[in-house]
Amino acid sequence: MLTFIGLGLYDERSITVEGREALRAADRAFAEFYTSHLVGASVADLEAYHGVDVEVRDRAGIERNPGPILDAAEDTDVAFLTAGDTMISTTHVDLRLRAEERDIETRLIHGVTAQSAASGLSGLQNYRFGKAVTLPFPYAHGGDDVPESVVDSVEANREHGLHTLVYLDIKADRGEYMTADVAAGMLADGWRDALAVAVARAGSPDPVVAADRLSALADRAFGDPLHLLVIPGDLHHVEADALRELGGAPEALLDAS
Amino acid sequence: MGRRKKIVQECERLMDEPENIRNIAIAAHVDHGKTTLTDNLLAGAGMISQDTAGQQLAMDTEEDEQERGITIDAANVSMTHEYEGNNHLINLIDTPGHVDFGGDVTRAMRAVDGALVVVDAVEGAMPQTETVLRQALREGVKPTLFINKVDRLISELQEGPQEMQERLLSVIHDVNELIRGMTEEMETVEDWTVSVEGGTVGFGSALYKWGVSMPSMQRTGMDFGDIIELERADKRQELHERTPLSDVVLDMVCEHFPNPLDAQPRRIPRIWRGDDTSDIAESMRLVDEDGDVVLMVTDIGIDPHAGEIAAGRVFSGTLEKGQELYVSGTAGKNRVQSVGIYMGGEREEVEHVPAGNIAAVTGLKDAIAGSTVSSVEMTPFESIEHISEPVITKSVEAKNMDDLPKLIQTLQQVAKEDPTIQVEINEETGEHLISGQGELHLEVIGQRIERNQGIPIHTGEPIVVYREAPTGSSDTVEGVSPNRHNKFYISVEPLSEGIVEAIQHGEASMDMPELERREALQEAGMDKDPSQNVETIHGTNILIDDTKGIQHLNETMELVVEGLEEALDDGPLAAEPVQGALVRLHDARLHEDTIHRGPAQVIPAVREAVHRSLIDAEVRLLEPIQDVRIDVPSEHMGAASGEIQGRRGRVDDMYQEGDLMVIEGIAPVGEMIGFSSDIRSATEGRASWNTENAGFRIMADNLQREKIMEIRERKGMKLELPASIDYF
Repeated sequence: MLTFIGLGLYDERSITVEGREALRAADRAFAEFYTSHLVGASVADLEAYHGVDVEVRDRAGIERNPGPILDAAEDTDVAFLTAGDTMISTTHVDLRLRAEERDIETRLIHGVTAQSAASGLSGLQNYRFGKAVTLPFPYAHGGDDVPESVVDSVEANREHGLHTLVYLDIKADRGEYMTADVAAGMLADGWRDALAVAVARAGSPDPVVAADRLSALADRAFGDPLHLLVIPGDLHHVEADALRELGGAPEALLDAS
Repeated sequence: MGRRKKIVQECERLMDEPENIRNIAIAAHVDHGKTTLTDNLLAGAGMISQDTAGQQLAMDTEEDEQERGITIDAANVSMTHEYEGNNHLINLIDTPGHVDFGGDVTRAMRAVDGALVVVDAVEGAMPQTETVLRQALREGVKPTLFINKVDRLISELQEGPQEMQERLLSVIHDVNELIRGMTEEMETVEDWTVSVEGGTVGFGSALYKWGVSMPSMQRTGMDFGDIIELERADKRQELHERTPLSDVVLDMVCEHFPNPLDAQPRRIPRIWRGDDTSDIAESMRLVDEDGDVVLMVTDIGIDPHAGEIAAGRVFSGTLEKGQELYVSGTAGKNRVQSVGIYMGGEREEVEHVPAGNIAAVTGLKDAIAGSTVSSVEMTPFESIEHISEPVITKSVEAKNMDDLPKLIQTLQQVAKEDPTIQVEINEETGEHLISGQGELHLEVIGQRIERNQGIPIHTGEPIVVYREAPTGSSDTVEGVSPNRHNKFYISVEPLSEGIVEAIQHGEASMDMPELERREALQEAGMDKDPSQNVETIHGTNILIDDTKGIQHLNETMELVVEGLEEALDDGPLAAEPVQGALVRLHDARLHEDTIHRGPAQVIPAVREAVHRSLIDAEVRLLEPIQDVRIDVPSEHMGAASGEIQGRRGRVDDMYQEGDLMVIEGIAPVGEMIGFSSDIRSATEGRASWNTENAGFRIMADNLQREKIMEIRERKGMKLELPASIDYF
């Protein structure tokens, strides 16, 4: 049995009760933290809290050599852990399919994902989001500073009045996390005066939500990672109220949209 | 005022009179006597003492050159010569004859308008004679002929006037055959064959400093009979005084070589592909000293005091200190710190160097041999063609850790000076690789690093460079990214020889405008459709994008190219470079989000697809081969040809030439290491021989596996091949 367990957003206690029970019952636990990680807990914290050994795998250990994980899952209970949810921003559906191909039973225990936090903290309604994008570090992709596909997706969403959730690049192995101000600075080249919402440390005890012009967000600091950014489309009146009250959005911007 | 100073002043005056300038190169097969001849000319022009000419080898300025007795770098010198009442400025470049240094010859030819080809009367036209002639003619440089070592015909071979004449005419005939064959298709060239009657052939002895030509015989009244008599009587000094070599040759230079006004209108269209209706084109054709500055850099040298010196031909405008000039292929400008001309091995600073001359410039820090340097941005000159890929590699390591940074700097400098050298820096292991044209080439470079830079180094055993190439067409192969969200569909087939040559000759490259490249590829035999979809050219391989309208592919293409380049640089058999592959990208499936189709996903997917396509296209290992020519007395013929055959070589031809037998054939470079001492002992030192790199050849199937494993072992690779390689 291979059980995919989302660890949630922040620390060792962000996991669901169901997830916790499944993890504690598992014979072995594997995890990957190259796509995201828990800012509030180390692997040791996880191990101590749940009383299990966690075997951390790098990208190659999941994508290229998933053999050992699948072998173990053939005759024992194996938990596979990621931050957030295992299937949303980070899509480990491939691993699940490989397991199914080998007739290994699989199940999913959801975790809270950044997508729900972005919507929840900002008050922007889940129904009104369009395509999500990731903004990569310029060195990490083949194009210009902001990839054309990112620009295209944001434009398309805005045309339809939809919000865009912008995931910010994480290079966990290098300890690099793109922050919302840097991302706002990059996007401000194209949409200087567009309204955007920075969400920092979703799921932690001290999350920050800040709504302002991209160019203004670029000059602010939002503290420790992880951050993400939302570029709202047309605002429903309750959304406008939420951005004003919860994110401190300047009135002029709310009228305009 | 010193004599030297006087000459410099006279040179400066003459620089402004293009009709009296001759830019020439002396080129020949190794040991046919170029450098000795050059010394004669210098002495004749009063630049070195008459007594030492011939022994001084003023042009061989590097210690190792004087030791080895051959010229390694092309050296520049300016001199003056009075002809028919007019003083002429002659800018001369002496070039190396040894085949390993062919790149220097090609670059020298770009700077000059005339080439004095020197041929040994006893040996006749040799392989390198053909090569230097081709290098000259391809650049639109006019040849004349000097037949050297005629004294040996008289004194050693005891030939009479009749025999001598026959021999000389046969040399002229051979050279003319070569010229005719090479100029047949050149529209802008009239008859460039040489003749005694026309005055474009000289004879003589550079060693004993005498020479004759038809015009000189008419002037001095000396004929062959007189010469034979004096030479036999050992009255060589008298011979020299009555008919000095330098007068004969320099007269020939002034009379028969074109001046820049005559040469540039013919040469510019051959070596420059810019807009011929532009001002700059006009200015280059007219050798306009008031036009925009255009300098073509043909050589980079190092002066212990002044640093890097760029030497080259000024095609337009006037070079002066303080000018801010563009250097092709780099951003921004370089400031000219000084301009000068060459006097022997030394540089003399002058105020300015106008169009039509060869200049030495400091301050052009971004320039490399082959750069176009100009006062306005312009289309660069055609890359200087020297088709010789490196075939031998050696590792270089600093003996002292402290020298590491300096060694890296020096190696980079070496690559800048000599584009036929390839340098691979490995900062992690400190074991750098230099690749070049032959054992001697690398040996000389190694010694210069030790001697000139004072860096003690270890060099490894010479390693032969191999290639990998597809021999058939593959099916379309799927490459999947590690996260399985991206797929690339790729196939490989061999490129036709015509297209590979077009790439090697620089006729089709990514530097040229798309339309021109498309036409060049079609002309070389590529179909219209693929020629329009060329995504990149890497080495002699081409990537064609056959996809249509795939979303996000454009921003992923750079990574596709990176994956392709990795796959081609390290081929699937033994991580040797792949050549002559036409790679097609047929289709791609990409993840919506950039982060899931980043470098870690796309590069391995493409690399894997290209390697698997290559394997499906029956990729084979190729080894470099050399043309080998051995001249040997007939009693040693068997032993000599055995030296070729014993090295997996092939003897193609054997024929009598004079009293010697000539053996021609080919052999793999890898087997030729150590040939020099083996042939000497096999023939009691009676053979003279010559090799020339002749490209790469597929190794026999029964040798493939063994050689591949040998290379893999050396490189620390896995000693098993992919299971799908089942064809040898």
